[in-house]
Amino acid sequence: MSISREEAASALSQIDLTTERSREMKGYRIAGPILVAWGVIWAVGYCGMGVMPVRQWGWMWLVLDVLGVALQLIILRQYGGVRRRSWKPAAAAVAIIAFEAATEHFFHASSSAPYMIYPGMVIGFAYIMIGLWRMPRMAWIGAAMFAASFAGIYLIPHGLNYWMAAVGGIGLFLGGLWLRKA
Amino acid sequence: MSGDDLIHQPLRLKIMAALYAERDGEPLEFSRLKTITQATDGNLGSHLTSLEKAGYLEIAKDFVGKRPRTRATVTPAGRRAFRRHVDYLRSVVEGVDTAEP
Repeated sequence: MSISREEAASALSQIDLTTERSREMKGYRIAGPILVAWGVIWAVGYCGMGVMPVRQWGWMWLVLDVLGVALQLIILRQYGGVRRRSWKPAAAAVAIIAFEAATEHFFHASSSAPYMIYPGMVIGFAYIMIGLWRMPRMAWIGAAMFAASFAGIYLIPHGLNYWMAAVGGIGLFLGGLWLRKA
Repeated sequence: MSGDDLIHQPLRLKIMAALYAERDGEPLEFSRLKTITQATDGNLGSHLTSLEKAGYLEIAKDFVGKRPRTRATVTPAGRRAFRRHVDYLRSVVEGVDTAEP
């Protein structure tokens, strides 16, 4: 067969686009169940804040975060994604949790409300970055989380933990299903 | 070096690229392949058959519960053919002499 340089360049461009789209779809397929798992953890954690004394919140979230990272690793193995680099998403989750904990430690909030919305804003920001870099749907989920967390402190100052349980729980759960459907 | 007429058709090129991108030659479901290639059912089906006849793909049909499932996997021969075709395309773009001896 004989083809022109332009035709060959166009074919290579099509291959690149298809490969990129294929990787994006695979990313959604793996990220979907991960978001659903974190949604359940968020709902449990924030509902727990409503019934447990403040001094036990830290331990509760530590246990839940460890459980979340473990679930994330199990899902990654199950779906066979990023085998050689499977430590990276888990390391990213640990880095985000460590960043949250460190900033909360140094920047003392005037009340418990900022502590409650802060994780939603940090995770929302992280998802926006992932979305801009690779999976556009993640950016929409992140933006919705960020905005809903931020709005909660003004709209629902009392019962904010239940608002965050809904934002994180229902939001991440539905977001995960949306990714799975991609 | 020469190109592969069978793979070069635009939709078949997309199918091969999508399957080649799967790590360890994992199979892709028909519905997912349809989303990635943005092809119609009939068009995708006929091109999958052509590639299967050439030995570039393997098509497996089974059931998940009561739902029928069709999955495609690129064969080692398909991977080699795709790599050769991409090398050929690159050589054309880079202006390397592709005339056979």
